Amino acid sequence: MENSSMYIISVYSENQVGLLSSISNIFTRRGINIESLTVFPSEFPGIHHFTFRAITTERAAQQVVGFIEKEVEVVRAFCFPDHVTSSAEHGILEEYLKQRNQ
Amino acid sequence: MGQRLTGAEILLESLIAEGVDTVFGYPGGQIITVYDKLYGYSDRLKHVLVRHEQGAIHAAQGYARATGRPGVVIVTSGPGATNVITGVADAMVDSTPVIVITGQVGNAMLGTDAFQETDVVGMTGPIDKWTYQIRRPEDVAPAVAKAFHIASTGRPGPVVLDFTRDAQVGVGWFEYEKCTHIRSYALPAPADEAAIEAAAQLIDEAERPFVVYGQGVVLSHAEEQLKAFLKKGGIPAASTMLGLSALPSDFPYYVGMAGMHGNIASNMMTQKCDVLVAVGMRFSDRVTGTPSKYAPHAKIIHIDVDRTEIGKIIPVEVGILGDAAEVLERLTERIRFSFHDEWAASARRYDAVEASRVEAPETAPADGPVNMGEVVSKVAELSGREAIIVTDVGQNQLMGARYSRFAQTRSFISSGGLGTMGFGLPASIGAKMGRPDRQVVLFVGDGGIQMTLQELGTIMQEKTAVKIVILNNNWLGNVRQWQELFYGERYSQTRLLNPDYSLIAKAYGIRYRMLDDRAQLEDAVKEMLDAKEAYILDAHVCEKGMVYPMVPGGRRLDEILLNKDEWYRDGE
Repeated sequence: MENSSMYIISVYSENQVGLLSSISNIFTRRGINIESLTVFPSEFPGIHHFTFRAITTERAAQQVVGFIEKEVEVVRAFCFPDHVTSSAEHGILEEYLKQRNQ
Repeated sequence: MGQRLTGAEILLESLIAEGVDTVFGYPGGQIITVYDKLYGYSDRLKHVLVRHEQGAIHAAQGYARATGRPGVVIVTSGPGATNVITGVADAMVDSTPVIVITGQVGNAMLGTDAFQETDVVGMTGPIDKWTYQIRRPEDVAPAVAKAFHIASTGRPGPVVLDFTRDAQVGVGWFEYEKCTHIRSYALPAPADEAAIEAAAQLIDEAERPFVVYGQGVVLSHAEEQLKAFLKKGGIPAASTMLGLSALPSDFPYYVGMAGMHGNIASNMMTQKCDVLVAVGMRFSDRVTGTPSKYAPHAKIIHIDVDRTEIGKIIPVEVGILGDAAEVLERLTERIRFSFHDEWAASARRYDAVEASRVEAPETAPADGPVNMGEVVSKVAELSGREAIIVTDVGQNQLMGARYSRFAQTRSFISSGGLGTMGFGLPASIGAKMGRPDRQVVLFVGDGGIQMTLQELGTIMQEKTAVKIVILNNNWLGNVRQWQELFYGERYSQTRLLNPDYSLIAKAYGIRYRMLDDRAQLEDAVKEMLDAKEAYILDAHVCEKGMVYPMVPGGRRLDEILLNKDEWYRDGE
């Protein structure tokens, strides 16, 4: 059994009704729980950027990325181990929550 | 300049612009506007009225598989839409291009639990290639154009257009422009040169190379490229069930069908080969047996147009992402002329065992009841191997696959990945409508035909000349076979009390003949094939007929049952 750890799955897509549901289904079908999710307009006009964080194996994360990219409206998808990435939004939010809970 | 038309008319004009001449469907409240406009298009669009929406989509699948063109389905909202869901899932896993148009309630009523409203986008999203809800008449033509582009390119698949009432009755400008590009949807690019080079080198170095190909060869029209590749490399090849008929059964390098009920040669050679080239197939568990024990000595080269298939089940040495025809052509240029005569000839040794131990008792028994394989083999013989063979699911399917001996491509239509009982009868209707020039023969069990039996009404109304062979054993035969072999002969809920099919046939005005005597077999099959109209041959076959050889689930491919008590021993 491969080790599970936190992965960041980053998706660039058209802004299309129902797409979030289709993408989250790809996690659901494999029994992967989404730990956090952010959706923003990306730096490219008309393209949205989804960032998922989920605990899973590298093999499953790669497969999820493949299936996400198969969605017609998805332009590109990537995955990274959590420890090699940093996210400004997550950092700010986590810092805020930490301070509020103190 | 375009014209001002209602969305319903734009839909029909768009279908015609895409070259559609036949649609399969069933009217209802939220699609009634489309049907109203269809009334005026009857000279340009043939609508086939099925008896249940599931029949519409399976017919469209049969049409698509026989012709290579997308099948089109029009159904209403709510139950109309939910009734096509099985077929959508089936078309997805079997890569069949189908366009499904479902009616939907008006925009203002979406999400209100209106009469016959259902969340089609939410339900079909996970099981189709693309879903889109059309809410405005001006979106109809671009949506249809995208639908055809998506359904028929890359790895083909089903597309669902959820067509709200507002978009049907509203008026918009119509001007049709075919879709050739979607920025988020990449068409297959030329395959990676380094991957082709690496594959060619592996193939050249191989002592026992082997090819397993699937429906991808048919879908990318790569039949001739595959033949050239096999001839130049001197490589024996096996087919998956859905790949059947891509190569003629008597092609010198063809060694048979792979997998659970495949040929001994194909499965033994898979386990012995040192390089395995997989072309347009997806390593289904029905093909691999236990994946971790599949082809243990082989370096695997996987050619597929779908990136997610490469490495999904079986780790690969070289993955080549691309269209099968293009890749095979370039690979053929690269590889050396080779001969692997001794290796290729080993197939004949396995074939001899299979012929005497499995085939002869099945297709040429001396006495006893008529066998399933015997009927299939006789149809192949008397049809000159020219027919399109459609099957349902179960023993009829395995027998149809094993004993049909194909001569030309696109001659085998069956529900592979989803294994949908009830697929066969409507699919055969669609196949015949797509290819009226060809003989279409359906093999179906007494169980499966009752799942979509109502489509005999479609045959009656449309005068569709399909030849229906019921392999009737009064059992759900394939499950019964598993119960006999693996569940201690506890026949739980597999015994069927059947209707009198002669009366069913009579009710629908379809010619009928019962067959239970071997002496009548030749005459009965001949009469059926010669008939100009639909025909039901109700073959009362051996009740406890079994399909062998069999690699039981969870076994290695070289663990092959020849009959109930006997495993195949290599070297026989």
